[in-house]
Amino acid sequence: MNPRILVVDDDPALAEMIGIVLRADEFDPHFCGDGAGALEAFHEASPDLVLLDLMLPGLDGIEVCRLIRAESGVPIIMLTAKGDTADVVRGLESGADDYVVKPFNPKELVARIRTRLRPATEPTNDVLTVGDLRLDVAAHEVRRGDTPIALTPLEFELLLALASKPQQVFTREMLLEQVWGYHYKADTRLVNVHVQRLRAKVEHDPDAPRIVTTVRGVGYRAGAGS
Amino acid sequence: MSTVAGPDQGGPARSGGPWSWRAPAWRTWPTRVVGFWRSSLSFRTVALTVVLSTVAVTVIGTLISVTIGTSLYDQRREQVEAESVRATLLAQNIFDSATATEDANQVELDALQNEAQTAILGSTSSPGGTSIAILRTPGQNSPQTIQNIASPDFPDSVISPALREAVAADDGRLSMQSVSLPPTSLGGGSPGIAVGSTLQVPTAGQYELYLVYDLSDAQATLDLMQRTLGIGSLALVLLIGAITYLVVRLVVGPIRTAAETSQKIAAGHLEERIPEKGQDVVATLGRSFNGMADAMQRQISQLAELSRVQQRFVSDVSHELRTPLTTIRLAGDVLYDQRTSFTPSAARTAELLHTQVDRFELLLADLLEISRFDAGAVELETEPVTVVRLVEDGVDEFGPLAAESGSVVSVVARGGYFEAEIDPRRLRRILRNLLGNAIEHGEGRPIEVEVDSDATAVAVAVRDNGVGMSPADAARVFDRFWRADPSRKRTIGGTGLGLAISLEDAALHGGRLEVWSEPGSGSRFVVTLPRVAGGRIEGSPLPVVPPDRRGETTVPVTGEPWSGSVPAVEVPGASVPSSAPSKGRADDD
Repeated sequence: MNPRILVVDDDPALAEMIGIVLRADEFDPHFCGDGAGALEAFHEASPDLVLLDLMLPGLDGIEVCRLIRAESGVPIIMLTAKGDTADVVRGLESGADDYVVKPFNPKELVARIRTRLRPATEPTNDVLTVGDLRLDVAAHEVRRGDTPIALTPLEFELLLALASKPQQVFTREMLLEQVWGYHYKADTRLVNVHVQRLRAKVEHDPDAPRIVTTVRGVGYRAGAGS
Repeated sequence: MSTVAGPDQGGPARSGGPWSWRAPAWRTWPTRVVGFWRSSLSFRTVALTVVLSTVAVTVIGTLISVTIGTSLYDQRREQVEAESVRATLLAQNIFDSATATEDANQVELDALQNEAQTAILGSTSSPGGTSIAILRTPGQNSPQTIQNIASPDFPDSVISPALREAVAADDGRLSMQSVSLPPTSLGGGSPGIAVGSTLQVPTAGQYELYLVYDLSDAQATLDLMQRTLGIGSLALVLLIGAITYLVVRLVVGPIRTAAETSQKIAAGHLEERIPEKGQDVVATLGRSFNGMADAMQRQISQLAELSRVQQRFVSDVSHELRTPLTTIRLAGDVLYDQRTSFTPSAARTAELLHTQVDRFELLLADLLEISRFDAGAVELETEPVTVVRLVEDGVDEFGPLAAESGSVVSVVARGGYFEAEIDPRRLRRILRNLLGNAIEHGEGRPIEVEVDSDATAVAVAVRDNGVGMSPADAARVFDRFWRADPSRKRTIGGTGLGLAISLEDAALHGGRLEVWSEPGSGSRFVVTLPRVAGGRIEGSPLPVVPPDRRGETTVPVTGEPWSGSVPAVEVPGASVPSSAPSKGRADDD
């Protein structure tokens, strides 16, 4: 069955064109033209991924993003027209996994969608530990003791990437390549924002992180280090 | 040599030879006082007033003191004169009455003399005390003499030869002289008056009567008066100083408030105002100042509003243009991907559509970026950046393009290995523009990239050895949409805005972008950025004129950012769009 993609965009021409591109790459697109109906469309389509325009009539894209994120970890890719720093950061903070700046080309869009649908790491049956967390790679599950912690697939990928090589310090560029699939210099704010979101879920005290620690001037690593 | 030496570090603590000698604290006083004099209006006013009033009070005090002293002396002198006349008459009468009886013998003369002395002492009423002496006028012969006598504490030294001569010569008249009495056990150095007169003693000849009057009581009065006058003057000067200080505070206070307020307004606190109290000139100053501030705030708010409208417009245009452009882009790319199944003309059409949409997109992005700069709607987002790494990344990125053109790009980094506070996206964009230009205009010859840093700045130079530009062209290289040679074939395809944007990016850092170029020798662009955000740069670690061209006449050009004149106004609530994340494109010119 083809992956279902929910396209939330108020511009019918663009939505239709995105639909053509998606169908050509064997995706199953569903459409929603306004923010107010987006959550309902999300429930109906139960998509594998959401393409979300930030500027929507009815309900703001960032609000839609927050609503979807509140009940699901499904990958969300924002379509931003402004390239506005503040908007991108707000979008990422409200839970979007990645963003594509208009005007984008079909290959770029499809590449971003595929990266989010197909996790970058090889599926294994390993169980990793980092700090007091247990990562069940096969089950895509993180537990602290017996309590499962709900992470989005992206947050799980991020934590897994760090935890799989606990001795290694990852630069933001390395994480962008490994987790987001960017092979060129992309926006390091993607990493910064998602590390913050991840910490908010897994750390006892997000202000004094012990699971995902910052290595000043370099990047991040799992655990407090030696 | 440190200048923070404590005041007690001179003297024995000195060590390390003559050059380690430190100026004691008092040596810096003149400098400090001069500095204070220049910086403090109150100090200047108070000091001037105190000095001038001290001069005035001193003059007046001296005048009063001299006048009173003179009149005191004159008064005593008259008194002394009268007493002396009386005493001389008395003594002469005693001697004369004795003469009338009989020829005196020696014993009688002595008795007479004692009688006269007692009578004289009894007749004086001078409060300072009187000493008496009867001396024989030298140079006479007489059958009998009487002994020279003097009261026990008679100060012989005060009777000067000049006085004695005057007395001896001016027969029958009083001779007076101001003298300084020698110190005695009771105190000393007090002024006095010596009065000399002559006595004719029967059978014994002419004798001189000297009376010395002590004026110490008058002196004491004068001293007391002077002391009182001195203390009074000092108090007066201090009072004048204090009053001046108070007045200056009253007058300077509002001026200082105005100065502080204008500084705050200049610093961006546009709502600051001076309190308006009363109807005096200071209140008028405050009111006009506030009026000016109101007008300025209105103007600035208007500008800010315009800027906000502009930002809004840019944002709207961006959105409105980009959505259809995205559709066109997607459509064009879909067609482009299927061009092999089209007729040749349709396939070519798809190709043209594809490339021109790309160009349109770049142009739109650059236009939006430059309009953001013009609107002042840009923000520097610095993070620790190792410039050398950024340069190496940039050179790597252009590797394929350079190889295609045949140019070899070499990097020489003598500095720039530390983390500078730089907006990496903007520096990347600058480097892309400079490298793209160098490759496009480099004629396939080597391209040299240099990185260096000094205490305040870090700089990157990009030198090509290509066609170069004439000075007139180099002067216009930062102009928007300007092209050095419109007929040249464009390989990378730029928007004509690349260098203008780079210049704005450098200026936003507080840095600068310079160019040196010579026809046939190529061009050298140098971007210099401060090491820390908000820092200032003086020179550049890298000269814009290439080292091998030093001393030649080609004048380098320093770019003048267009938006430099636009005041950066913080507008509360205004969203500040900044550059879109660049997707590795090379906008160049």
